[in-house]
Amino acid sequence: MAKEKTLSGCAASALAVKMAKVDVICSYPIRPYTATMMELSKMVADGELDAEFVHGEGEHAQLSVCYGASAAGARTFTGSSGVGVTYAFETYSPISGGRLPVQMMIADRALDPPGDFGSEHTDVMSARDQGWLMGWAETPQEAFDNHLINYRIGEDKRVMLPQFVCQDGYFVSHIPNKVIVPEQAQVDEFLPPYSPGAHVLDPQKPMSHGPQIRPDQGAIMDLQRAQAFLDLPKVVREAVADFNRIFGRNYSPFVEEYMTEDADLAFFIQGGHTLTARHAVKHLREQGLKVGLVKLRFLRPFPTQEVGEILSKFKGVGVIETNTSYGGSMRGGSLLGEVRASLYDAAKRPVTTSFMAGLGGDVIPLKDFYWAAKILAQAVKAGKVEKTVYWAGLEEQAA
Amino acid sequence: MFNIPKESAVPFGCVTPAPVGEQPMMITGNWREFRPVIDNEKCNLCLNCSVFCPDACWQMNEAEDEMVWNAKYCKGCLICVNECSHDALTKAYELDFPDGVVRLEKPF
Amino acid sequence: MAHVHEITIWTRGVVKDKEGRDVANGIALAADRTGKFTQAFDNYVDLPDRVNVPLRKYARISDQEIEMRYEYENATPEVVVLVDATIVKGMNVLRGMVKDGVLVVNTKKTPEEILEFVPNKHLLKAVACVDADGICGTSTVDFSGTEGGVDTVGLGAGLAAPILGAVAKATKLVSVEDLAAVVKNKNALFRGHEATVVKLVS
Repeated sequence: MAKEKTLSGCAASALAVKMAKVDVICSYPIRPYTATMMELSKMVADGELDAEFVHGEGEHAQLSVCYGASAAGARTFTGSSGVGVTYAFETYSPISGGRLPVQMMIADRALDPPGDFGSEHTDVMSARDQGWLMGWAETPQEAFDNHLINYRIGEDKRVMLPQFVCQDGYFVSHIPNKVIVPEQAQVDEFLPPYSPGAHVLDPQKPMSHGPQIRPDQGAIMDLQRAQAFLDLPKVVREAVADFNRIFGRNYSPFVEEYMTEDADLAFFIQGGHTLTARHAVKHLREQGLKVGLVKLRFLRPFPTQEVGEILSKFKGVGVIETNTSYGGSMRGGSLLGEVRASLYDAAKRPVTTSFMAGLGGDVIPLKDFYWAAKILAQAVKAGKVEKTVYWAGLEEQAA
Repeated sequence: MFNIPKESAVPFGCVTPAPVGEQPMMITGNWREFRPVIDNEKCNLCLNCSVFCPDACWQMNEAEDEMVWNAKYCKGCLICVNECSHDALTKAYELDFPDGVVRLEKPF
Repeated sequence: MAHVHEITIWTRGVVKDKEGRDVANGIALAADRTGKFTQAFDNYVDLPDRVNVPLRKYARISDQEIEMRYEYENATPEVVVLVDATIVKGMNVLRGMVKDGVLVVNTKKTPEEILEFVPNKHLLKAVACVDADGICGTSTVDFSGTEGGVDTVGLGAGLAAPILGAVAKATKLVSVEDLAAVVKNKNALFRGHEATVVKLVS
């Protein structure tokens, strides 16, 4: 019988990874993801999980250990937060290019300077070009489910790519919420044992990983991975459909809509703050404003077609950015650029702008969503936006 | 262009002046449940308490020839009581004393 | 949105960290049993790995879904619990209290002696004192529940049990019967409930 437990995101992630019967775990402590490794080490020590638990000497070592283990055919798991994610940066491309489905749990955290434990998506988003899957969970339940879904997608023979399974530090990782924990049999049905491809390390069939190539081979190497990302959406849809069937959930593979049926305006958002945004949308609707919410579940592969189709229904879209991309085309975060690119070919395009909110782990209060909706409504009326980036709580004139 | 709330302001490059003498942003006197109490008659100014205190909370007042205790920062670890060479230091419960109130508004 | 009852628990790092968390979790779990919406969590910025540092744990109770789940602190506590009494000298523990709040303290001292150290006592309706150390002996030290991890030792084996009894006696937020269902040391819970002295502050 599936059981309901109250778990933080960290504990939910650990439980999902345990039920996925991971083979090799490599740990290194950093707040806020650390509790996941605390939980897994307890499970291994108590004999509940038969896995190799390796202490890395740093985040770079964590990923390197997983690289080797995955190359030898193990289902691997590691994780990090904040500057730990950037410390391991060198390893992301080799793991992805080597087509090794390592899974890394990210409980995101603002990057230095200075020390700030609060959540911000920038840490792992800065690795979005490295060829990994990437997506955020809104709740501990979704975090639990995403770990299983990502192993299934990443290890699919048509994909063979590593995955960042992300959740907001503290908001999702530390605040407990209800999680329906499935039975092991359901997990086993959904997630078959990892069966590595022909490129796995094997004493009977010695392999070299990443030998030298010539420049004329470079593009072909890159094309291999690019093609995997073209084939990826189909695998995602299959996996999520199967997940919904076996576990009785109702996930959209890429994008989730909330109260968008007759909406003029919409928030485009990912991660834990979606929870607050839902309440804001409900209250705004009660006041007569036709607002909806569109939640992004996968940042990579970015669901360009879905986002373009869904957002073109609205008159105004406000992208909530809990990340920074200094000097980027929008001079704010990274999401607005991706949204505008998705809308470029649409026959009818909404006005779009972005709201920098939740940076540094700051809470996004309901009133910030109301403020953003007001700005959007004004922009729709005017037929254009005054600027592409608004910093929540810091703008000179309160709208 | 922007309205930065004063209590949240951050200096340029997030570089701040370093504390000299004491660190007013980390007052630790509210960590203690017990405090060391000195009997000046027994004290021979060996300075063990001063040397062993991890927070430099015992200083010698040279003019008065006695040890002075820092109530603002003493964490009540009682290492000084343990190390005193002449049994001049004993521990006492903090709530038995009306003085030595640190009462911070926020932890830091 | 319905009113959210905020309970702030002050405790000390490492040595009484689990006890503080047990009080917060105990209150939330007991209120859960009566169909309320609840939250219980540690303050995130208090850095609890330092022995004896003053720390906060929070519980929230509401009749409707709590919409601002993510607020880092309880801005307007109605009930403040001190797992260690000396914190009353170290922090403005009633900060943010609006009025008619309740202060629950684990101490051998009397409510009058505790109030000597509370200059803003006009915010209080009542002070409750219970000698939890006397009832229960030493506190449980365990790190399994920190940082959002799963507690493996169980709730209320130590000081938290009589302190929860005091909370039940001094406030209407949870009943001692509901607490008894979630607490390990029921004997200490009832003894704490019995022994608590509640003084009304005029």
